[in-house]
Amino acid sequence: MKIVKTYKAALIAGVLLLASCAHEDQPTESRLDFSVPTKTDLDKWISTSFLDLYNINVYYEWDQNTVDNTRYLFPPKVEKVQPAMEVVKKIWIDSYTTIGGVNFVKKIAPREFVLVGGVNLNTNGTLTLGLAEGGQRITLFQVDNLNKKSRANVTQFIHTIQHEYVHILNQTKPFDEQAWSKLTPVGYTSTWYTEPIATSRNLGFVTSYARLNIYEDFAETAAAILTSSKAEYDAILASVTDATAKANIKAKEALVVKYYKDAFNIDFYALRDQAQKNTDAVVNN
Amino acid sequence: MKAIYIYKYLIISFIALLLVSCTSTEVDAKFDQNATERLSARQKELNDVLLSSAEGWKAVYYTDSTQLGGWTHLFKFLPEGKVDMASDFTLGTDTDTKTYRSQYEIQAGSTASLVFTTGNRIHLLSDANNYPTSALKAKGYLGDFQFFYYGQKNGDIIFRTNRNGHFLRFVKATAQDWTDLPKNTAIIQSLKGNAASPLFRVMETNDGAVTHQFDFDYNPNARFGTATSLDLGSQEAYDVAFAFTPTGVVSKLPVVVKGQKLTNFLYDSATTNFIATGTNGVSATIKFRNEPTRLTEDYKLLMPQSGNNVYAYIYSTTKSESANSALFLTLLANAEAGAGTGLFINRIQPWFNNADGTSYIEYRFSTVANPTVVAARVYHYFTIKTDATAKTVTLQPGVWKSTATAASPAIVAPSFLKTLDDQFMNPNGLYFARVQVSGYTGYTLTSTTTPFRLVLYSFQ
Repeated sequence: MKIVKTYKAALIAGVLLLASCAHEDQPTESRLDFSVPTKTDLDKWISTSFLDLYNINVYYEWDQNTVDNTRYLFPPKVEKVQPAMEVVKKIWIDSYTTIGGVNFVKKIAPREFVLVGGVNLNTNGTLTLGLAEGGQRITLFQVDNLNKKSRANVTQFIHTIQHEYVHILNQTKPFDEQAWSKLTPVGYTSTWYTEPIATSRNLGFVTSYARLNIYEDFAETAAAILTSSKAEYDAILASVTDATAKANIKAKEALVVKYYKDAFNIDFYALRDQAQKNTDAVVNN
Repeated sequence: MKAIYIYKYLIISFIALLLVSCTSTEVDAKFDQNATERLSARQKELNDVLLSSAEGWKAVYYTDSTQLGGWTHLFKFLPEGKVDMASDFTLGTDTDTKTYRSQYEIQAGSTASLVFTTGNRIHLLSDANNYPTSALKAKGYLGDFQFFYYGQKNGDIIFRTNRNGHFLRFVKATAQDWTDLPKNTAIIQSLKGNAASPLFRVMETNDGAVTHQFDFDYNPNARFGTATSLDLGSQEAYDVAFAFTPTGVVSKLPVVVKGQKLTNFLYDSATTNFIATGTNGVSATIKFRNEPTRLTEDYKLLMPQSGNNVYAYIYSTTKSESANSALFLTLLANAEAGAGTGLFINRIQPWFNNADGTSYIEYRFSTVANPTVVAARVYHYFTIKTDATAKTVTLQPGVWKSTATAASPAIVAPSFLKTLDDQFMNPNGLYFARVQVSGYTGYTLTSTTTPFRLVLYSFQ
């Protein structure tokens, strides 16, 4: 009883403390509006073609939180969205699915596409063609300008996805960075955009942008092969006059091929051929 | 006192404090509803008012009146987030005032905002790749399409733009507004001028007794102009930021004449002038003219005492300069079409005061297939006459030759070059003046009587 006596005050306090909270309001249902807006035909098409199959959502309506608000960007025209995403599905998803297996893109993919109508122009005069943020979201620009009948135009558009998707693959399984960085250690520069493409190629880089760092170099090398036919890529190689540079580009190509084989068991050249076949199908239909 | 009592009293007093501190959890409500409810109500209020106007809304959007004019937009909001829209924006040379449908949304953020969520006419103001001045590179027309709802005033809706925080007013549109919008196109074209319009422009103010002349520099894409006084020693200058109406232009920034603020310039089709009229004879008039507003002494470079000076139109260097007039480019294209299949004019190169005392214009032709090789040349000789008062130079035509030597015989004048060449040989003379170009020294030759002007590369 002594214990009770000693702590009587504390006990009373405890009871009172509990009692004082007894009649507080319980939370009711959310005041936020969670009602689903009316789905347009386009929304339904996106759901069935991307969301249900691949767990990828496509945002085409403007939301300032998904874009850089200091840039002068704008949303695409509604009628341009489906043709652009059909190109994405045909050339990117379908090619990887055919070669890598039906679940390949389902497992490794960006979860969001954000579409922008116009170009993302930098003040230094360069264009940012696409952005991949944290492997989760790819932003595609110039959706309004996509012309399915122009192979060059389709290739430039799809180059963005191929390039960004290589980054996402790299984030899943890294490539042999040590071997890569030994090939052309001195050619990298942050002012890559002032370099003519011929100069860059004669230093062992497939494009000028590849000279930003080894990760862009890898992505550019892979994307350049995926967006060119064998003949087109051979023509690029043939244009390189410097023998060391040509050997380095070929060595990089070999590393890309090895990476796809070792990391994902994908025959890279079969993937390239499939992507070209699907590009033909897009341009000719 | 035992320590235990101190402890007890302390506990009791703490409990008392605790209880007291809980007694008044109620705060005076500043609002009848909580923040979420108020934001939702605000969203609904905005959507309801947007849908309420039978003919929709009209907004003259001045994106930045310190350097740009205004663009008239008409919106008709429809159920299910659809909107019909038309604007008088000029894309290239095309002012498309047709109505297009897209989507809108009332989004919640710091406040309710109207967002045009899919591409339509208003987004033309936000295209990084289409900018009216080099200062706005990558910034388009500084446009916005997310507008924060600030409330209503006299039936108008007041917004603030997202990026730049400018006020934007939506006024109720009428059926007349929709039928009038296409009529802006003709006015836009009249202020811009066409191939036949004189190349120079002045603004003339009249304070009821005295007129003053201003050089008027107008950028049709930016819809912005600057008038600077031509009076000696005067620093007077006005900026004008134009929006268009079916009858004229309205400037957001006034021109002040004798204390009167003039903003409404009406188009007079008879004179092609734009006239803003005040009271007591006060007015401001924007008009075209052939004579440059400022004459230079540069014509003296073409006189014999300046020596052998050579200039040239070079297709790869000077053709893209904006100072080349539409008339020059048209005549050039016609001459090229007449020159023969696959040929174009590589250079038009006036040589002044050669060592042998001659002067001539050399026309060089190349094939499209091989533009770096000269396929043919013809020379039109001339003598030079200058006018110190009008500050002009007149090229008096002489013979044509296919080789520029004294011994070579004269040839028949090439007929396909005649209309172009006649502009150079204008008997009333030409103005010759330095022009700002980047990468080389440039001059312009400008006709005194027609809207003919071309940029020349200076070899000196």
